[in-house]
Amino acid sequence: MTLNSSAARRYTRVALVVLATLLLAACAGDAELDTRSDLAGPEARDIESFMRILLWVTYAVFAFVMAISFEAWRRFRIRGDDYTDDDEWPEQEDENSLLEMLFNTVPALILLIVGGFTIILHMELNSEETNLVTLDVAGSAVEWEPQVVVVGQQWWWEYQYHFGDVDVDQERVETLPNADIVTATQMVIPVGQEIELEITSRDVIHSHWIPSLNGKRDAVPGRQSAPWKIQADEPGVFFGQCTEFCGLSHSRMRMQVVALEPADFQAWVNAQMEGYPLEADDQAYLEALVAGDTPAAENSTQRAINTFRGKCASCHLMENIADDVWSQERVAEQLVAGAAPNLTHFATRTTFAGGIRNVYDPDTGDFNETDLREWLMNPADIKANYAQPANDDDPRMRGMPNLNLTTEEIDDLVGLLKGAGEKPAEFIIEETGVE
Amino acid sequence: MAIIEEPLALEAGEDAVARVERPLGDLTRPQADGSWKDWLFTVDHKKIGIMYGVAAMFFFVIGGAEALLIRIQLATPNGTLLSPEVYNQVFTMHGVTMIFLVIMPLAAAFANYLLPLQIGARDVAFPRMNALSLWIFLFGGIFLNTAWLFGGGADGGWFNYAPNSSVTFSPSNGIDFYALGLQITGIASLVSAINLITTVMNMRPKGMTLMRMPIFTWMNLVVQFLLLFAVPVISIALFQLTFDRLFGSVFFNTEAGADPLLWQHLFWIFGHPEVYILILPSFGIISEVIPTFSRKPIFGYKFMVISGVAIGFMGWGVWAHHMFVSGIGPISVAAFSLSTMFIAVPTGVKILNWLATIWGGRLRFTTAMLFAVGVVSMFTIGGLSGVTHSIAPADTQQTDTYYIVAHFHYVIFGGALLGIFSGFYFWWPKMFGYMLNERIGKWNFWLQIVGFNVTFGPMHILGLQGMSRRIDTYDEDFGFEFWNLVASIGSFIIAAGIAIFFYNIFYSRSQWKKAGMPNPGPDPWDARSLEWMTASPTPEHNFDEDIVVEGPDEFWHRKYGYDENHNVVRIATAEEVAQDGSNTNVHLPSPSYYPIVLAAGLPIIAYGLIFSLWLCIPGAALLIWGMVGWIFEHPDDPNAAHDHHDDHHDDDDPEALETGDDDDDAKELVAASADAGDEN
Repeated sequence: MTLNSSAARRYTRVALVVLATLLLAACAGDAELDTRSDLAGPEARDIESFMRILLWVTYAVFAFVMAISFEAWRRFRIRGDDYTDDDEWPEQEDENSLLEMLFNTVPALILLIVGGFTIILHMELNSEETNLVTLDVAGSAVEWEPQVVVVGQQWWWEYQYHFGDVDVDQERVETLPNADIVTATQMVIPVGQEIELEITSRDVIHSHWIPSLNGKRDAVPGRQSAPWKIQADEPGVFFGQCTEFCGLSHSRMRMQVVALEPADFQAWVNAQMEGYPLEADDQAYLEALVAGDTPAAENSTQRAINTFRGKCASCHLMENIADDVWSQERVAEQLVAGAAPNLTHFATRTTFAGGIRNVYDPDTGDFNETDLREWLMNPADIKANYAQPANDDDPRMRGMPNLNLTTEEIDDLVGLLKGAGEKPAEFIIEETGVE
Repeated sequence: MAIIEEPLALEAGEDAVARVERPLGDLTRPQADGSWKDWLFTVDHKKIGIMYGVAAMFFFVIGGAEALLIRIQLATPNGTLLSPEVYNQVFTMHGVTMIFLVIMPLAAAFANYLLPLQIGARDVAFPRMNALSLWIFLFGGIFLNTAWLFGGGADGGWFNYAPNSSVTFSPSNGIDFYALGLQITGIASLVSAINLITTVMNMRPKGMTLMRMPIFTWMNLVVQFLLLFAVPVISIALFQLTFDRLFGSVFFNTEAGADPLLWQHLFWIFGHPEVYILILPSFGIISEVIPTFSRKPIFGYKFMVISGVAIGFMGWGVWAHHMFVSGIGPISVAAFSLSTMFIAVPTGVKILNWLATIWGGRLRFTTAMLFAVGVVSMFTIGGLSGVTHSIAPADTQQTDTYYIVAHFHYVIFGGALLGIFSGFYFWWPKMFGYMLNERIGKWNFWLQIVGFNVTFGPMHILGLQGMSRRIDTYDEDFGFEFWNLVASIGSFIIAAGIAIFFYNIFYSRSQWKKAGMPNPGPDPWDARSLEWMTASPTPEHNFDEDIVVEGPDEFWHRKYGYDENHNVVRIATAEEVAQDGSNTNVHLPSPSYYPIVLAAGLPIIAYGLIFSLWLCIPGAALLIWGMVGWIFEHPDDPNAAHDHHDDHHDDDDPEALETGDDDDDAKELVAASADAGDEN
């Protein structure tokens, strides 16, 4: 074994490593969550342009260290394995004040410059601008300072829109008044507007991250996040993934941001302000139920209303259908987080089950009954969850249990969910395809 | 293992008649008899160091197997080898095992073995406490891993953030084992820290001033101080967690109004100094290896020492960079961003000084040297990616992605572990009396470093592509498949490299035996510091006589001098300078039963806390027996035929007698603390 051949191999290997490191810049390509390409917001782009320069600085420093190492290897290496009989010694230099001064000041200077730009960018990312969007909310004009309350829980995200005069950043999520719009898994925003996010959690710590728009921010129970914002410059769908370890289905806790043109956003708001639309006879059936009668169900929708009120409404709200049987207190008895997705506008979203299944087939645009059936049959088959009470002292669950629904009940419920709002625009269905 | 025992001067009981009256339960001190009991009851810092190493390598195999499971699971999209439940346990236990049961004890193995030798002492200040820390660590580590037998390991990540660590969110006993297991191993670290600090401060021989100590000793001294202050912080946090989980207190219960960031602060105030606890011993190791194989003294000794101490101090001011996205407010983020950036300065100083040491040297790329140079380059990558996350805005994209996973593996594997392997190859002949095979060693090195880069290099890319940490699967269309597969292949290359290391031990040993066990001599590498100035393997009493130190690299300066042109000339061979270990008239502390007895009580109490408080009674009884027995244990077995009447110890040092400087204060201190050592 000669040292030379191993050193030559070392040269090749490390050259490969350097190459691989350089590939960093080139290869971070087509991933949906990519932090460096296909960026759509000013914050993400600012971070990326800083990062690009920074990476070149690090490549330069690394290249310097490797160059010195290789040059030392080339010039000064001694072959052979005998250590004791070698009486040749190089110059025993062990101090050089000038060099030491450079060793300290050059890195410090580089870091000082980097640090200065860091603080500038950091403060910019944490600044807030006041922008107002005029919206028509239930017939009256509202000046909305775009703000979304983001609430994480195991293992899905809820988004709340408050159009009234609510100071959301001063209150815990449990004590917030009912939001004007509550949606799950998909946040819808108008393009070109800075949206302030108030991020919090109902159980453990999660982290909300839409890499194409901005970095992440943790959702901490009992706290509202320090100001955090996102902005999308063009309409589109932007993917996210929970990034703070939050237990069993952490890897399946995903979300999307859908950015719409102002007019489309207004249309979305209008739709979300409506309750579940029912035919006149179904409405009459529902009203009889609410009044305490027990009329016989005559069609699939009426059977579904009955099933929903009996089995689903202990956790899920569907406005107009289960307002009277659903209550916050009751949900808190069932679930650790005390919240389940609001299903009133289920069909206006394109993903469900925490953002891992499609509501519509992204190729055909058809309502995805297959996956929904599978989910209702046994949710744990699709997403691991702790649906059984964890221990004797605490009967609350984390995640949707298997409700042992019959095939007929499932068929009815799928029909009910299919009618929960208008189908969203074609491009959203195409772009949100998650499988 | 291959320690060649010098028979102690204490021969087993001359006569039972000489036995003095003893209180009930006070056992006769065990005797060194060459059997397995020597290892169980030993107080010898070298045996303890070796056992630390063996135990840590055992846990290394477990932690490595867990790593391979993770990589198989992630090799392809939608991996199904592990369920999410098991995956969470496996990655948690991988991290906990590698940090607390592998890297820390491996560093402790080297520190225990080498610190007394490098300063020229006969043992540590408190030999029984040294044994205690070993057994506590070992029992704590075994306890932690027995979680697998009782419903599964901890599943909250090594950082175990509240409130995900509460009973509501983690109902199995895994996190109880985590909290109590780390509590126990924390005691081991504290005991060891106090012991080694005292040793370095008080047991140095004449002339060994602080600024003459080898860099390895210096870096370990800094580490022991870091442990001394960092471990209590995690101990408090773990007590709170244990009380929350087992007795229903609400320190971290957010439903009762607790702030979950409390845990994060406590954890990272410990956790960031912990990073330096992991890396500084390795910096120390390569600061010994590089000068030896460059045939030059370490460049900028003072700067190496001061930068190590500076890292130790600055390491306390950067913890919140782990919390840039936790919502601690923009001002604190800015402050911690800057402080984190500037800790790169002393680290950079170290790297540049290593390069300056290599430059102009006469370089021999032995396996130890290859590993050491590997640390310099790989740690540079880890340090630079660290700088990219000190940029808080960039960190909001990078944190909790695989970019971080890549970063800390470059630091802990590329920095700490490669350094430890360098130490293995370097000090193996000193510890075991035979050399590890260089040819196989080079295979070991190349497989390990190639496998390492193939595994963790792609994780930088994966992280920037948006792959989150701690996810058990990913979808096909995320674009993560290719680099994950590459990383998984790399992990098996690493495994092959490690397997070759184990093979090398057995191969080299059998070759050595076949060759009639030739002795490698005291100084096989032509090295510089005092541990090479005694026989290999180190005799039980370390040094035949006290060494009077006149400068840094004392041993080297006894072998070499300078001629009038300032060229190095040999003035003596290593064999002439080194002590041959033949002095059998050195008084050493006797072995003791009590460290292992005391330590055994702790895991039993811990099981009791989890399963039934009744079990705490025998555990506590064992603990108390260990303590009481310890206190009343006689300094030595009264039956032993050694002469302990002369308390001055000056007869060990002929020079002191000749010069008649009995009243030398420093000398007295050494003698006094040596006596204190006997009793502890």
